[in-house]
Amino acid sequence: MVLLRCFLGCCALLQGLAGCAPETVEVVPEIDLEAVDPSGAEVVFWYQHTTTREEALLGMIDEFNRTNPHQITVRGEFSGKYSSIYNKMMVSLQAGTLPDLLVAYQNQAVVYHLADGLVDLAPYMSSARWGLSAQARADYIKAFLDQDFIDGAQICFPPNRSVEILYYNMDWLEELGHDRPPRTWDEFAQMCRAARDQPFSLSRNPEYSQGFIFEADASRLATMVFSRGGDLMDPEGTAYTFAAGQVREAMVLMQQLTSEGAAGLLSEPYGDQKAFAVGQVLFAMRSSSGMPFVDSAVNEDGIGFRWNVAAPPQSGDRPVVNVYGASVSVCRTTPQRQLAAWLFIKWFTEPEQQARWVRASNYFPARRSTARELDSYFAENPRYRIVYDLLDYGKSEPSVPGYQAVRRLIEEAMVEVAQGGDIDGILPRLEREANATLEEF
Amino acid sequence: MVTDTAEGAGTGRGSRADGPAAETEDARGSIADTAAQRAAKRRLAAFLTYGGLVVAAVAASFPFVWMLFTSFMTRGETLRYVVVPASVEWRNYVRAWSEANFALYFSNSLLIAAVQVGGTLLFSLMAAYPLARMQFRGRETIFLIILATLMVPETATMVPNFLTVAWLHSHSPIPWLNSWPALTVPFMASAFSIFLLRQFMRGLPGELWDAARLDGAGHVRFLFQIALPLCRAPLLTVGMFTFIGSWNALGWPLLVTSTQTWRPISVALLRFVEEAGAETQLQMAGAVIATLPVLLLYALIQKEFTAGISVSGMKG
Amino acid sequence: MNTSLKDRVTAWAFMAPALLVLGVFGLFPIGYAFFVSLHHWRVKRGPFVGFEHYHRALGDPLYIALFVLSLGLFCAVRYWVKGKSLWLRVTRIGLEVTTLFAAGAGLLGVIGSGDSRLFDAFKVTAFYAVCAIPAEVAISMILAYLLFKALSGKGFFRVLFFLPYVTPMIATAVAFRIIFSPHPSSLANQIGGVFGLGSQGWLFESRSVVSLVLQAFDITQYPAWIDAAFPSMALVSVVLYNIWVYVGYDTVILLAGFSAIPPHYYEAAAIDGATAAQSFRHITLPLISPALFFISLIAVIGTFKAFNHIYIMRTPGARDSVDVVSVAIFDQIYLFHNLAYAAALSLILFAVILGLTFVQNRVLGRKVFYGD
Repeated sequence: MVLLRCFLGCCALLQGLAGCAPETVEVVPEIDLEAVDPSGAEVVFWYQHTTTREEALLGMIDEFNRTNPHQITVRGEFSGKYSSIYNKMMVSLQAGTLPDLLVAYQNQAVVYHLADGLVDLAPYMSSARWGLSAQARADYIKAFLDQDFIDGAQICFPPNRSVEILYYNMDWLEELGHDRPPRTWDEFAQMCRAARDQPFSLSRNPEYSQGFIFEADASRLATMVFSRGGDLMDPEGTAYTFAAGQVREAMVLMQQLTSEGAAGLLSEPYGDQKAFAVGQVLFAMRSSSGMPFVDSAVNEDGIGFRWNVAAPPQSGDRPVVNVYGASVSVCRTTPQRQLAAWLFIKWFTEPEQQARWVRASNYFPARRSTARELDSYFAENPRYRIVYDLLDYGKSEPSVPGYQAVRRLIEEAMVEVAQGGDIDGILPRLEREANATLEEF
Repeated sequence: MVTDTAEGAGTGRGSRADGPAAETEDARGSIADTAAQRAAKRRLAAFLTYGGLVVAAVAASFPFVWMLFTSFMTRGETLRYVVVPASVEWRNYVRAWSEANFALYFSNSLLIAAVQVGGTLLFSLMAAYPLARMQFRGRETIFLIILATLMVPETATMVPNFLTVAWLHSHSPIPWLNSWPALTVPFMASAFSIFLLRQFMRGLPGELWDAARLDGAGHVRFLFQIALPLCRAPLLTVGMFTFIGSWNALGWPLLVTSTQTWRPISVALLRFVEEAGAETQLQMAGAVIATLPVLLLYALIQKEFTAGISVSGMKG
Repeated sequence: MNTSLKDRVTAWAFMAPALLVLGVFGLFPIGYAFFVSLHHWRVKRGPFVGFEHYHRALGDPLYIALFVLSLGLFCAVRYWVKGKSLWLRVTRIGLEVTTLFAAGAGLLGVIGSGDSRLFDAFKVTAFYAVCAIPAEVAISMILAYLLFKALSGKGFFRVLFFLPYVTPMIATAVAFRIIFSPHPSSLANQIGGVFGLGSQGWLFESRSVVSLVLQAFDITQYPAWIDAAFPSMALVSVVLYNIWVYVGYDTVILLAGFSAIPPHYYEAAAIDGATAAQSFRHITLPLISPALFFISLIAVIGTFKAFNHIYIMRTPGARDSVDVVSVAIFDQIYLFHNLAYAAALSLILFAVILGLTFVQNRVLGRKVFYGD
């Protein structure tokens, strides 16, 4: 009894103390952007890049610091993986210790925006003094900018993008009697079955031979659905549409191929890439940012087969691909630092810088005119060119709050389907549960 | 509430007194034919003992062996699920060490761990003593409140602790964020340590204290001169676990540090996971580098555990 | 309680630094979580909503009240109704049974009307605890005793046993995810193959172990509750991982306990002709009971609080069969961005752990033997 009283007393006391924590007063003063002076501002930038990409990024930051006319200093800080950055940002939002610029996926940015942690970049883009010229503005791939325009505000800005593409083993495909990658999902299914029956001649493990490995991941499903002309949400973005025809078709194909043994379900991280690299699987569907890894894996391991990339199989005549990638967001700190952060992004996305970034990271640029700087790069990397040409056909996944939770629901549903579940029961349930998350926001 | 009962004491001492006296009668009568039996029993016991230990050792170490083997592979071999690498790729270790700037992170980890261990040992020992050996009002309540802190889920402590540390950072002369205080102070008192030390101290014979009292020693002297040497085993245990906790901590250091200056080694390991694919062999090389110091420390310390407790104070 | 003022001051002075640190970094979070849970709180504070989140989690206040009051009455009866007379004893037992039934009814009501996701998580946590704790404690006890008795090579074995706990989780988790992968060539499947076990889903398998056994016997029609009432294969794999990690930890502590037993007790016993079994039962067991009690308490608290080692083994294939309460809380923060509800759940978890510890303390605490 003493314990209980003591405990309650402590809680009450602590609650009182906690109540003294400063409440955030959201008064956004009208700032005249034209009059703000960013001189000498220090910008803290949280990113998740590692190894070679990080080196390149730090090199570029260095160059910006040296050459920008306002003596702005950007300090790049490795802050963990995407999830660690999100974690850190959530905590910082509460403590008021925000960075100035950070890498964020759209659905993460939406959450930050809900907490008034971000700044709308639209005024910066259209500012007379600091913004983009009409020409520059048009140079950005509209779909990318639109992707980052949510709830009436430009809450993030695209420094680069990736595309989800089909990797295919050219040598194996030829052995199976085909000279080009599958154009439709039917052809894809046929080729997978053929691969199951006829292992790759160079494979060191011919007992495990399949056409494809499905990953239970929302982005994979999105790619399959987009390529059939469908979408995960209705056009207004108010409700999920999992019971629609295209989703069903994608799920049916997945279930069919898995039960026939022509495809498998991913069981460990990057397993499909690994299997592809050693010739155990004919196709892989992954982000274009994986190309360097596959390249070195295929060659380093010694099998060294010819491989290439293509758009995933399509249903219509106009291809639709899943374009995604983390953007950067500017946090609500001080007008000077916000402006300085914007100036850095603007510099970073100029064609010359984009070309440099592309070379180092293998991401795709957000501005068309970058192509001019990349002629030699295209010549050296024909695969890159193939994907580059697909950028105009990009479509993006939902960026509504709660999408993170829906991703998990999708993953679980995909596993259920791949293990033989009843699609007509699973999909409506998925749609119901996904829409329920929308209500929570 | 925790109550120590005399029941255990009674059972322990009482039955021991009863047993042997009766047995000796029988033993004397059949000494001759039990010698061989005893030798056989000893061999069986040794076989079972070592057999069990070996099985357990294999089970415990095989993932580490896997880790070691993987760290010596080329990437091609990791892709092919090869079990034993064809040759030893020391390059992985060189790359892991230099690419991830292991030297800096290493010394950071050492420093942070040292501070945290020192603080924990001191504070926990001091706190466990009154809880174990002194009588005062509210003792059990305080002990339970301390235990209660052990039960708070991790997810609940992250944000408030960060808020506290951020507040302290802006209101104190020494920096907290991005520096050793934030990384060590929140963990300097652990209910776990206090609990363990208390259990051990309660097991110390009461006569020790009485004897010290007669010699005119106060609490402070008793604690640091008499009790502390006797608590070597639990102190080393506490120190060991605190060291490991500090060494492997990842979530909190990522939160409270933003630059390399004070980041520990666990963060360095993160740098080998790329968006496109994990360099497993580098990761494992890094993990081996990260694990070895702790293992070394444990190997050195564990001899101390068996040194046993000297009760020479009692014999005199 | 003949403590002088000086003694009391000394006691509190000794405890002060630890209490300060624990108070600020251990207790304040509880108060803070309580504060957060009373509001609508996504990332920033919203309006005050009182106990709405608790209502959502635990259901009808009527049932909550029934449960809490009945438990309180039960404790009161235990504490106050004492007596040897038959009449008193019968009344006491009768009251205890009634209050327990009432508490049970209240609990059922709470489970029925509250957040089913939360109670599923508690169920998974209970499975996890029941599977992991006895195994962990038993294995570490055996190992510690074997180590204690072994004559040579102790150091070598000790280091090996400690490896799992010491190795960074990045490495051990990756290793186990590969070992327990459903791929036919994974280590678990190969070892299983030696025992005649077909290729299993392991971490990807959300069906319960019992239903898998039934399927092995070609029984494909079984009631749905078989899957719900037993741990899934994924959870069993996670349990194995956790036992593997923590056995070394427990063994080290027990070993320190064994080492603390003065050897002259054993010498004296041997002189008196005691057998190994007898000295174990009458010397070792009582003298190691404080350490054993410590481990079991820490194990219970630890398994209910467990997060990292479980979260890292989660796969989509396991569905929600490995989602213990702390994982569910984590999801509330990172998937649903609902800090307030997460805080409420954290406090509920805290209360449950507190209750369990309390009960464990009363039941097992009496059996611990201290030196004096």
